[in-house]
Amino acid sequence: MEKRERSRDILGLGLLLFILLLVILGMYQVDRQWQRMGEMQQAMEEQAEDLRRIRGAVQALEARLRDGVALAEATSEGDGGDVPPAFRRAAQAAAMPDHARGDWLVRALPAGPSTLTPLVSTDAYASEVQQYVLESLLVRDPDSLEWQGLLARDWSFSDDGLTLTFELRRGVEFSDGEPLTAEDVAFTYRFIMNQDIAAPRDRAYLEKVERVEALDPHRVAFTFSEPYFNSLSLAGGMPVLPEHFYGPYLEDPEAFNQSRGLLLGSGPYRMPDPRGWRPDRGRVILERNPRYWGPVDPPFNRLVWKVIENDSARLTTFRNGDLDVYGARPREYRQLLEDEALRERTRHFEYMSPAAGYSYIGWNQRRDDAPTPFADPRVRRAMAYLTDLERMVDEIMHGYAEPAVSPFNPRSPQHDPDLEPYPYDPERAGELLAEAGFEDRDGDGVLEDPEGRPFEFDLIFFQGNQDTRRIVLFLRDLYARAGIVLNPRPSEWSVMLDRLNRKDFDAITLGWTSGVETDVYQMFHSSQTVAGGDNFIGHENPELDRLIEKARATLDEAERMRIWHAVERILHRDQPYTFLLRNQTLSFVDERIANLDKTRLGLNLGVVPLEVYVPQDHQRYTR
Amino acid sequence: MFTYLLRRLLLMVPTLLGITVVVFAIMAAAPGGISAQSLIEGLNLEPQAKRAMEDYYNRMYGLDQPTPVQYLRWLNNVSPVGFTVDEAGQFSGFSFWKGSDLGTSFRYGRPVADLVAERLPVTLLLNLLSIPLIYIVAIAVGVRAATARGGRFDTASGIVLLGLWSVPTMLAGVLMIGFLASEQFWRVFPTGGLSELEAAAMPFLPHWERMADLLLLLALTGVSTGAMVALALQASQRTRAWTGGLLGLVLGGLLAVQQGGAGSGMLYLLLGMACGVGLALAAAGSSPALRVLLLGTTGMGLGVGWAMALTPGGFVPGFLLDRIWHLILPVICLAYGGFAFLAKLTRSSVLENLLSDYARTARAKGVDESDILWRHVFRNSLLPLITVSATLLPSLLAGSVIVESIFSIDGMGKLAVEAVQTRDRELVLSVTLISGLLTLAGYLLADIGYAIADPRVSYD
Repeated sequence: MEKRERSRDILGLGLLLFILLLVILGMYQVDRQWQRMGEMQQAMEEQAEDLRRIRGAVQALEARLRDGVALAEATSEGDGGDVPPAFRRAAQAAAMPDHARGDWLVRALPAGPSTLTPLVSTDAYASEVQQYVLESLLVRDPDSLEWQGLLARDWSFSDDGLTLTFELRRGVEFSDGEPLTAEDVAFTYRFIMNQDIAAPRDRAYLEKVERVEALDPHRVAFTFSEPYFNSLSLAGGMPVLPEHFYGPYLEDPEAFNQSRGLLLGSGPYRMPDPRGWRPDRGRVILERNPRYWGPVDPPFNRLVWKVIENDSARLTTFRNGDLDVYGARPREYRQLLEDEALRERTRHFEYMSPAAGYSYIGWNQRRDDAPTPFADPRVRRAMAYLTDLERMVDEIMHGYAEPAVSPFNPRSPQHDPDLEPYPYDPERAGELLAEAGFEDRDGDGVLEDPEGRPFEFDLIFFQGNQDTRRIVLFLRDLYARAGIVLNPRPSEWSVMLDRLNRKDFDAITLGWTSGVETDVYQMFHSSQTVAGGDNFIGHENPELDRLIEKARATLDEAERMRIWHAVERILHRDQPYTFLLRNQTLSFVDERIANLDKTRLGLNLGVVPLEVYVPQDHQRYTR
Repeated sequence: MFTYLLRRLLLMVPTLLGITVVVFAIMAAAPGGISAQSLIEGLNLEPQAKRAMEDYYNRMYGLDQPTPVQYLRWLNNVSPVGFTVDEAGQFSGFSFWKGSDLGTSFRYGRPVADLVAERLPVTLLLNLLSIPLIYIVAIAVGVRAATARGGRFDTASGIVLLGLWSVPTMLAGVLMIGFLASEQFWRVFPTGGLSELEAAAMPFLPHWERMADLLLLLALTGVSTGAMVALALQASQRTRAWTGGLLGLVLGGLLAVQQGGAGSGMLYLLLGMACGVGLALAAAGSSPALRVLLLGTTGMGLGVGWAMALTPGGFVPGFLLDRIWHLILPVICLAYGGFAFLAKLTRSSVLENLLSDYARTARAKGVDESDILWRHVFRNSLLPLITVSATLLPSLLAGSVIVESIFSIDGMGKLAVEAVQTRDRELVLSVTLISGLLTLAGYLLADIGYAIADPRVSYD
């Protein structure tokens, strides 16, 4: 009896708890509905605002019509009708029979960007996101690599080559509906040049620009302090920031410098909340910009980046189809190619991206105010002869790389095709080292300098990269055979930066990204040996300095390329770095992404305006 | 009791101080160190801009001062009682309620307190789910092993749990993702994160498009669970074993089919055999409770799977189910290592009490064996479990470092790893401070629980 009553009590209590749980869950449910309502209301308000603006514009037009103003001028200036050249490829894609709007493009980031705010952000991940939100005056055509107008309709140089005037496109709006005018371009320059804004990199980049003036709402002029070869890409590549959004931060620059997600622009995509992104969200989501001005509407509804740090989890997520792009390392790529299931539902690409750059070993030439053994060009040349690039390409990179000859891209006219990478030649290296005074004096297999100190050095490298680690271990064996002791020093990134700043290293292996035309002023000009400069190896060569300066000031392309060739020959002879490899980008892409194509800028997946899409019957994400 | 509590609370202060001193010293001594220079990541800085940035960091964090001064400064900011500091960085007075300021993270540029407030609930959720799981499984297994000492169950559970205990979480997590979340094998669970992207647009509760689907689900689940429970309770051992074996064989075959064309005939055989033998053993087991539990869950799973297969589409899992779905693998990963230790502890302490005089007296008196076990012996065996609970929390916090980074969950563990990697001193200090605080609080709670469970214990 007692037992039964107790069990009834328990039953009653359980029922009560269950009802309570249901009520709580129901409350959550209702709460979420309210939130959705709020979001929808916001979207509707935005649309109402747009409607009001359009109505205003139409009324003004009507009024002008009634006043009898001829529209001939306006029509002749209008951009309507034909598609601007920057959108040529995108328009071609949009004309394909299976082209469809919709779906998401989902990619992974191996580490979360610490900030998405333009100018403040430093990592490649942030700039990958920003390129969809911010637009510049010009873009490079992926086929011809020529500059084409994006926000600018036309541009012209003054006769002295010092003033560059851009004619802006009409009717361009930022994603919040404010119009983009020449004032915004001038503001962007003012903003970057403000000493309180933490944009030293961009400031250094734009230092040749003397001033930027808005001549009228649709014309803006860049004035350069001296002729500069890269002036078009400097001015045309500058992302245009909206004055009404970033302007207030001039009052409070610290708030801008410390911000993590202030991102608003005129691009095809926008942040759902231009101020609200935070690095700990674990993802970046961009939504289609409903007010995008461009003649071709961007295909994807959303662009999503998921942060997945664990390598195997990233691969599994890609296998599951939850990621659309997977970048593989050479060894992994080789293995994945043999995977039947993966090959069926993905396409794979291997290509040289011009921005991928090259890896190198930098030899420190001055340490503690005394020249190191590497200050002698013969020693550096000997190191180049000792570095077997061919085997490195074959055995470590599985053939998915090529030896780097110089900092210049071999596919660019900047490169002199007569130059070859240093062959593996231990005898020649031995002769050079003997000339420089390094010989095995005590017969222990290790070279000694005239004072009897063994030739020994530390090589600092980033510990996180497997391929680099294998390259360093391979080099250690090669150098040991020649009697040189290499001590591998795997380091964390922060330690590496610290040692670079203090120039406290013997040798370091790093990589530089490069572009179509690479400026080597930062790395090799002797003025950059100051603390914090990029010439951290302390390389000084007056002849090189002179040639670099000359090339930078030459506007005529053919002439400039001749000077660059001379620069390259000197770099090749002096070997301030031992240039290692240029790696191919290896990637798998989900099969539903259509219109993939290798261009001279690499795979067109990352090209803006977007030209890849998902055909209607392959779409996965419906929202 | 009150004085005891007060004493314990006051004793926490020097312990925490010790923790922070050690962490601060390690951070300061790390190669590369923490200086304004190391915080300025970019290399392409103009000298004057660099100067300005360094000044800024020095002003914010006092990084140009000697390490002990930096430590004292940080301590003063953190402690709720201390000197107040004015805008210029000078001490302006002494206050007993100025509140504690954990500082601003270098990397995230946000107040540490905000970051922790965001991340802590995630980690606590993981731990609050895994601790009860560990306790329930360990106690059930431990008690059963103790009552059937030396039997097959005792040995088997001992071996299995010790085996689990020796598998590193890192490996288990990656294997789980590789097998249970991958298209290549069985894609049952998500690979990581706490919710799908689509879940943001879902309602909170699960939702069916047609009411009939829900009814079908309930009916099928009810029927198959009922059938399995009936089988577990009513049928003879031989029937149970055969039915379980056949069912397992079919299930294993289904699993192999799901695995896709890549699998060979060998795989079918292996999986079918494994599932068949497993289920047959479970069904043939001698404990009715265990049987009902195992077969009942199998039946429920079968019913749900069946209903899902019959009603394709029209089902929205909702935010809640989606979240639970994402939590299953991390929670298992976090929990499995703790079973062995607690189960062994339960077993030995139950055993000790079962053999004690009062248990024998009760038995002689004619008390029911289950009453002896649960009303007398079990209560007394709880004491060591309570003591141990204090050490469980810190180890789970440490475990979540690994689990969170494998499953891409943004919790305290991942925050701690990122903080250490990027030399985010304020964040590292705060995370260790908070973990230390939680651990000490755990010890205190365990002591109080001890006093409650055992009237003989008193702290006065």
